[in-house]
Amino acid sequence: MSAIEKINQLSHRIFNTSVTEQNVARTSNPFAASNFQKNILTEDVFESSKKKEENKISFTGNLTAHSKRVYSTFVGSINDFGSRFYEGIQSLVSLGNKMKEGIVNTWNKIHELGQKEVSLEGAKDILSRDISSFFVNGREREISKMSKMDPISEIKPMFSEALSALEADMVMVA
Amino acid sequence: MNKDMFKNNKNFSKVSNIIESLTINPSPDSVAVLEEIGTNSSIDEVREMTSRALVKRNEHDSLNVVISNRGKGINDMSTIVAMSTINELLSLENKEEAMKVLESTISSEGFDEEVKENARSVKALMALS
Repeated sequence: MSAIEKINQLSHRIFNTSVTEQNVARTSNPFAASNFQKNILTEDVFESSKKKEENKISFTGNLTAHSKRVYSTFVGSINDFGSRFYEGIQSLVSLGNKMKEGIVNTWNKIHELGQKEVSLEGAKDILSRDISSFFVNGREREISKMSKMDPISEIKPMFSEALSALEADMVMVA
Repeated sequence: MNKDMFKNNKNFSKVSNIIESLTINPSPDSVAVLEEIGTNSSIDEVREMTSRALVKRNEHDSLNVVISNRGKGINDMSTIVAMSTINELLSLENKEEAMKVLESTISSEGFDEEVKENARSVKALMALS
């Protein structure tokens, strides 16, 4: 190759960049277009940003079946964990509700017992009052009946008899 | 026999009821029965109840028995009977008749000096009450 041809080729390389445009577009290396004596750098010596993007985990591309299974298992486990976590929270909530219901029921029971105690006390009072009032009424009835009797002919003999019996009781006790 | 035994005694309850009935009996003969049987009883509790019943009647004749008679009512030998009678006199809402009987007893020449002295003391108490 003559010197002229070499110059032409060099000029072609320099001024006609169509040959290297594709390479430039593929790489982010600003020096990728530079070459020395036709030695085009086909490999990017710098880390390609495209490769970085390609290295990112993508669920749509370049995933092997095994990876998909792994990811799906992982995602499934996450979903399972979420459901389990949700179920745990639900169980805690239900436990709380049960405790609340238990406390409320216990409180109601205590309240009912308290009311029963009060009602029983009231019943006792009423019962005792009725019984005592029954005897008091009986005594009052007897007194009222005797107050209508003649003191001399009816009450006096009764009074004497009862008093004699009482004095006899006192003698027996003494 | 103490008071608890009296309360549980059937005959005591009967005597008590009879005295109560004579307290409210409108017949003036009730006073005579109370005086004749009740105030002459050997049992202090019966004499006490009888004296109180006579005071409660708040009549001239009944008050005269417990104020002017020696050994009855305020002049009873038992302190409990005398004090209980005085207490009943002091509890009267209308003391007019009682004061008349007391004044009559104090001013009368026919009563013992001891009876008059007791009447004077009770009158002083009633005037203060």
